[in-house]
Amino acid sequence: MKVEISRRRFLQGSVAMSIAGGVSLGSSSMMASAASPAKKVGNEDKKIATLCEMCVNKCAAIAHVRNGVISKLDPNPLFPKSRNMLCPRGNSGIQAVYDPDRLKYPLIRDGEKGSGKFRRVSWDEAYAYINEKLTKILDEEKDNRSTVAFCAGEGMAEHTFHSFFTMFGSAHFLNHASLCLATTVSGYSLTIGGYGQADLDNAKYVIMAGANRAEAIVTPDTMDFFKRTKGRGAKLITVDPRFTNTAAKSDKWLAVNVGTDLAFVLALTYVAIKEEIYNKAFVENYFNGFDEYKNHILSNNYTPEWAEKITGIKAKDMYEVAREFMANAPQAIYYQGRRTTWSKNDFQLRRAQAIFSALGGGVDVKGGICFGKSLPLVEHEIPSPMYAQAKPRIEKDEAAVVGGTGSWVAFRNMVLEKRSPYPIRALFNYKHNPMQNMPNNAKTAEFLKNLDLVVTIDTMPSDTVMLSDVILPECTYLERTDPVVSFGGIEPSIAQRNKVIDPMFESKPVMEIMRGLSAKLSKPLFEITKKYDEDVQSAIEDDSEEKVYADFDMTKPFEFDQEELNVHAVEKYEGAAEMLKEKGVFYPHINEYFKKTGVNDYEYYPEAQRAYSVRNTKFATPSGKIECAVPALAKKGIDAMPEWKKEYEMAVPAGKFRFVTGRHAQFTQSGTSNNRMLLNLVPENFAWINKRTAEKMGIKFGDTIEVASKVGKTTIKAYPTEKIGPDTLFFIHGFGNYSEALTLAHQNGGNDAAIIEDSIEPMHGASCLHDTIVEIRKV
Amino acid sequence: MARYGMALNYNNCINCKACESACKEENGVLLLPDHYRIWVGIKEAEGQFPNISIASQTYQPSQCQQCDNAPCQQVCPTNATYYSKEGVVMVDPTKCILCTYCINACPYDARYVDNRTNTVDKCTFCSDSRLANGETTTACQATCPTKVRVFGDLDDPNSEISQLLVNKEYRQVKSHLGTKPKLFYIL
Repeated sequence: MKVEISRRRFLQGSVAMSIAGGVSLGSSSMMASAASPAKKVGNEDKKIATLCEMCVNKCAAIAHVRNGVISKLDPNPLFPKSRNMLCPRGNSGIQAVYDPDRLKYPLIRDGEKGSGKFRRVSWDEAYAYINEKLTKILDEEKDNRSTVAFCAGEGMAEHTFHSFFTMFGSAHFLNHASLCLATTVSGYSLTIGGYGQADLDNAKYVIMAGANRAEAIVTPDTMDFFKRTKGRGAKLITVDPRFTNTAAKSDKWLAVNVGTDLAFVLALTYVAIKEEIYNKAFVENYFNGFDEYKNHILSNNYTPEWAEKITGIKAKDMYEVAREFMANAPQAIYYQGRRTTWSKNDFQLRRAQAIFSALGGGVDVKGGICFGKSLPLVEHEIPSPMYAQAKPRIEKDEAAVVGGTGSWVAFRNMVLEKRSPYPIRALFNYKHNPMQNMPNNAKTAEFLKNLDLVVTIDTMPSDTVMLSDVILPECTYLERTDPVVSFGGIEPSIAQRNKVIDPMFESKPVMEIMRGLSAKLSKPLFEITKKYDEDVQSAIEDDSEEKVYADFDMTKPFEFDQEELNVHAVEKYEGAAEMLKEKGVFYPHINEYFKKTGVNDYEYYPEAQRAYSVRNTKFATPSGKIECAVPALAKKGIDAMPEWKKEYEMAVPAGKFRFVTGRHAQFTQSGTSNNRMLLNLVPENFAWINKRTAEKMGIKFGDTIEVASKVGKTTIKAYPTEKIGPDTLFFIHGFGNYSEALTLAHQNGGNDAAIIEDSIEPMHGASCLHDTIVEIRKV
Repeated sequence: MARYGMALNYNNCINCKACESACKEENGVLLLPDHYRIWVGIKEAEGQFPNISIASQTYQPSQCQQCDNAPCQQVCPTNATYYSKEGVVMVDPTKCILCTYCINACPYDARYVDNRTNTVDKCTFCSDSRLANGETTTACQATCPTKVRVFGDLDDPNSEISQLLVNKEYRQVKSHLGTKPKLFYIL
């Protein structure tokens, strides 16, 4: 018997697009294009407002173009988030555009995987090749779309790639979150109702543990804060196994044993509760389950004396920090941090930090952790299709909560260990470098080699690109207009990356790549769906094939021009589209509010208009209050309240080291590893080893050492220093690339992806980056 | 006529080297070893782990001190090094014979042989680049995340730099040599 079904049943979700469906060219943009002057020949000098993409911060820049060549990038003072600055990476964007090693043409592998042999093809040949492979895979897998996985690096065009993924209908999207900040975002969100923005412009007391804002720059945090440290308004306590540049800017540096921060926070909490120095009014009004938490902390005896043995931090320092923190509260912040998943307890650590911060009342208040306002864009969604044969995410049960961005390590390992309930056959990769960003790169290499099809879209021939089958060259961020983005915060704004120069060689923006690829794939892949999807078959019987196909048409999200989409996204703000194109930044009343206050300084919003407090006493948590306990998670094996466990104590065997990694201001992971300017500033990474330990081992500055763990090894030059403890080894992430096509980065320095073990924490399956023991020898 | 100087809130410096990269892009300094007009002087931390003296690690952003009484100008045999009307110590590439006397004479180690211009080059407060284009900031100042540098006219009593020097304590580097540097490090 046939059942009447509506075509709508195939729609499982939607793809957000920044455009009103079917709206034709707006008059504003037609005016704009008519008004733009004809291209002059000769000495053409122009300035274009754009946004940086050398890291995740998206600082506003003004590009100077002379005769079609980008000659300089200057900071754009209009953007409240980046505060009129460009860091060394921002300045080095020019070298990213003009890097001779850039991917220039579509390539198809022409030799063994990993041989580095590719042949140049046309875009259409590349699309045809992908189409041929994909239709075969999906036919063999009976339209189980989830056999094809998608992964992406952070960026403003990630959204566009994600639309492609959604239309394709796979369950597998993977990105940096499980290799980065998943635990801290959810730890703070589930506790205080959001990750928030630390108001470092007004905080009086800040604990930065592991976070290294003097080196790992985050805007506006870094900009605001280091003008106020060193006795100039803000007291800074740095908790770090290393003496970082941030430590050098602090009032107190506490050298914590790696992976024991949770014991430190619990001890601070103990002092605050035991001495009743917390903000009682705030706790009374806005805490849910405080008595339970109080009892938990006190009955477990999380005293500073207890924590001293675990953390290596003196008890008296913990008493002092807890008391000073509460004395300065609510203008006191336990800073959230970013790339945080260090150890198995990381989610609990972030929960404990958030609760401790909230004990002072420093949430949703000036000088505390603020949530700020956002400026909504006009979002229009187009429905995405439902594929009956697409199976659920394979690694969904590998951690308590595996979200929409997956657990990369769990996913990869299940595939490798053949624990996947169905085969994973192909990977689409946008601007992501799993060979460098994921621990245990020997496994990543094997994973990539085993796949039938790896398609990588990138600008540079990374280690992952070299293990791909099809390479699609993206243009760099200065060669494209990206989706307009709204930046919420204390001083919210909207900013737009405008194209500075036309794409070089045969490179293209992702929007165009997705448009071309979806046009090639859409109909052949629908044929496969028709063959295996009974719902689709009966729908076609009821209705016309044309109508059913309309729901599965993969080309829909990519029909419009990005600049036109951006105009519509901001149509509710008068004058925004023009200003974003001309000046790169917009927010309501910008012309009235924005003021120059000194040779370097600007005011973005008058004090009364800044969104310090927005929650109106109700937090975005299930109870509307600060959550001391999360009992729902207990059912999934995640402790309802942060507690210290014996298993968190990891002894470092004599003669060995616990390895920690990190970032500095001159490089952004592996993405900038081949940049000539940055290499000119910092030619390679060095392994920090305690000076006295190095002396005993006969290791001097510049000696090459081999660093080996259970999973691999790498070589690197030594930097003996007293800024690190005798049982810890550190070097910066992103170096030691294997790709021979990266002329400058090839085998330059040490590669941490080769040595870090691939364990995951239980909450999100995020990879534990600081749980590896290494040994070293001079070579 | 303006007389240019620079005040440095050097306690703000996080040693990110944005200034160095902006200077190189702005002024076309080749990306070669030992080619730089500005730099960050680092004093490494003293002490033994974990007892490190926090105050001992400092960053001192540095460049040509734009001396009013510049030793490099005094020793230059061809007058390639000269003062601009604004008091900036400049180099005329058509006159420089690469004798490098200036390198030896400069007590601040601020000069280097530039393989592109074939001169013993140095910081010129972006006189040929930004100031010539009508900008009022140097590249190192404009790009700085923590706003270390304040560039301006020392002869204008109302300029931000003049006000800073009136209201804040500062020190100058090796001023006992009589060089009269126009860089001022705000304490």
